[in-house]
Amino acid sequence: MAHTIGRRDFFKTGARAGLTLALGRTLAAAEGRPARAVDVGVGIGEDYGRAAAKAVELVGGMARFVPKGAKVALLPNVQSRHPGSFTKPGILREIVRLCKKAGAAEVNCLSWQTVKQWEDTGLKAVLDEEGAGLRIFEKDESLFKAVPVPGGQALKEARVLAALYDHDVFINMPITKDHAGNKFTGAMKNLMGLNSPGSNRTFHRPNWKTDPDDVAHLEQSIVDLNKALKPALNVVDATEFIVTNGPFGPGELLKPHKVVAGTDRVAVDAYCASLWGLRPADIVQIKRALEQGLGTRDLAKVVVKEVRA
Amino acid sequence: MNAARVRNPIFVSVLAVVLAASALSASRFAGPLREYLPADGAAPGWARDGEPQEFEGEDLYSYIDGGAEIYQEYGFRRVVVQDYRNPRGKSVSLELFEMDSPAAAYGMYTFKRSGKGRILALGGGGEIEAYYLNFWKGRFLVTLTGFDEAAETVEGLAAIGRVVDPKLPDGGETPGLVAALPAEGLRPGSVKYFKGLLGLANIYPFYTARGLGFTDAVQGRYDSEETLMLLDYGSAEARHTAWLELRTELERSERFELAKDHLAGAIVFLDGKGQCVAFREARGLLVVGIASSLERALTTVVRVR
Repeated sequence: MAHTIGRRDFFKTGARAGLTLALGRTLAAAEGRPARAVDVGVGIGEDYGRAAAKAVELVGGMARFVPKGAKVALLPNVQSRHPGSFTKPGILREIVRLCKKAGAAEVNCLSWQTVKQWEDTGLKAVLDEEGAGLRIFEKDESLFKAVPVPGGQALKEARVLAALYDHDVFINMPITKDHAGNKFTGAMKNLMGLNSPGSNRTFHRPNWKTDPDDVAHLEQSIVDLNKALKPALNVVDATEFIVTNGPFGPGELLKPHKVVAGTDRVAVDAYCASLWGLRPADIVQIKRALEQGLGTRDLAKVVVKEVRA
Repeated sequence: MNAARVRNPIFVSVLAVVLAASALSASRFAGPLREYLPADGAAPGWARDGEPQEFEGEDLYSYIDGGAEIYQEYGFRRVVVQDYRNPRGKSVSLELFEMDSPAAAYGMYTFKRSGKGRILALGGGGEIEAYYLNFWKGRFLVTLTGFDEAAETVEGLAAIGRVVDPKLPDGGETPGLVAALPAEGLRPGSVKYFKGLLGLANIYPFYTARGLGFTDAVQGRYDSEETLMLLDYGSAEARHTAWLELRTELERSERFELAKDHLAGAIVFLDGKGQCVAFREARGLLVVGIASSLERALTTVVRVR
């Protein structure tokens, strides 16, 4: 059953359970309307692999994004090994399997982070078991490709891992969680994992977590990076994630047991933020992405479908 | 080394100062942190798993990618990280942070704890939550993290914590500013002590840095849902200058709206999120009360004497 998210629902604050109630109200209003394509698919359940499969199915199935014979690049989050701070291995496993089932010739994770991080999070073991590749790159600027940012305000040029362009399809796989600076991290911010560390440093002015002008520069840089790089699909881990002490943890865990999929990063991030009572209007990167047309310009028109897996 | 230089008394004096400074710097980090780590079996059933990792100063950024700034704001020296494992394969990670001062360790402790966990009698104070434990002692902060919420993992956190506690040197008082929070109705777990804008932004964002150059600050929540914050500027003059700057910024802001001026010696803004924020100057402190009604916000700021 599909429903649209009303602006008031997205902007609703307060109790974590509140969103479900708000969605319930708009759900009833949406009944009887002609079926519309789902923008944000949400699989719910404690089997996170099944939840991931359901989320992808709701937005059209993996074959919609992965043609036969394609080389697929995946970008899970391996920032920390603390619970609720990295993409769950079960979700990665399912996405690898779905890509292969769709006919992918090759599936690789690309990263400039350390092998130890991949081992500590259990993600390397999944890749080994599923026959997917892990390609780790040195933080060497020559391994990154200059990519112009159309309409960039803070960033005129991104520097993206050149190996990404050896692939046909890019699937972004963040975990949504708290961030001590901008309070939220999700699909858009995860792309910093493919941008060069040197370029990422330009996002961070000296007071990037405290001075509002510097915070705004970081947020705009993230939006600009997303203008240069568009994933074919975003699959976000919203199963168990930290809502304090982010992005590293340990912190308080929220457990909605949801996996969220969609092509529109702004809609996906706005949905994920609302899961823990954050207002998209208060998250500068979402607000700016909305204004600058990175995805939807109207959250009220976003169609969300939630199904228990 | 050039002999003429060695005979130059100014050069010799400068060299002596540099060497003394180096020695002082080295002594600051006297003793390896790993000497505080529990040996195998010290916590029954738990043995070290792998080698410890150590990070110092700016190296923290390579360990805590994207999250080191808050430690630096409080004042970070170094950290040692050691994993422990029990025979059934449960794992626990121990992080022992040495901060610049007991105030920095206490502050980072209040930042990391949720205030909703179970209090543990460890060091200067400890709290255990669903899968992690924090306690502070002197200038040390200990964080133990389990990788699941199983009972034996959580018991392991406490067991390892109890071994580390007596190994750490005694000393360190709670910062004096904390005692300025009125005790009546204060939820002890809600107290957050902070030393900069990043700590403040995680408690209540003013969306400006201007006028917020306090030296240290504390926040507490009360049973009747009000929040009280004390920002210490060191002197009445510094506080007054800062407050004029902050007030100007809030008046310019699209997020805040001036509600009442000079009411009971306080000024109240509405924050656009249904909260009233009252400000009152008191010696070197800026007293801030946040509540759902104007009256409650005012009542909160006048509680501080």
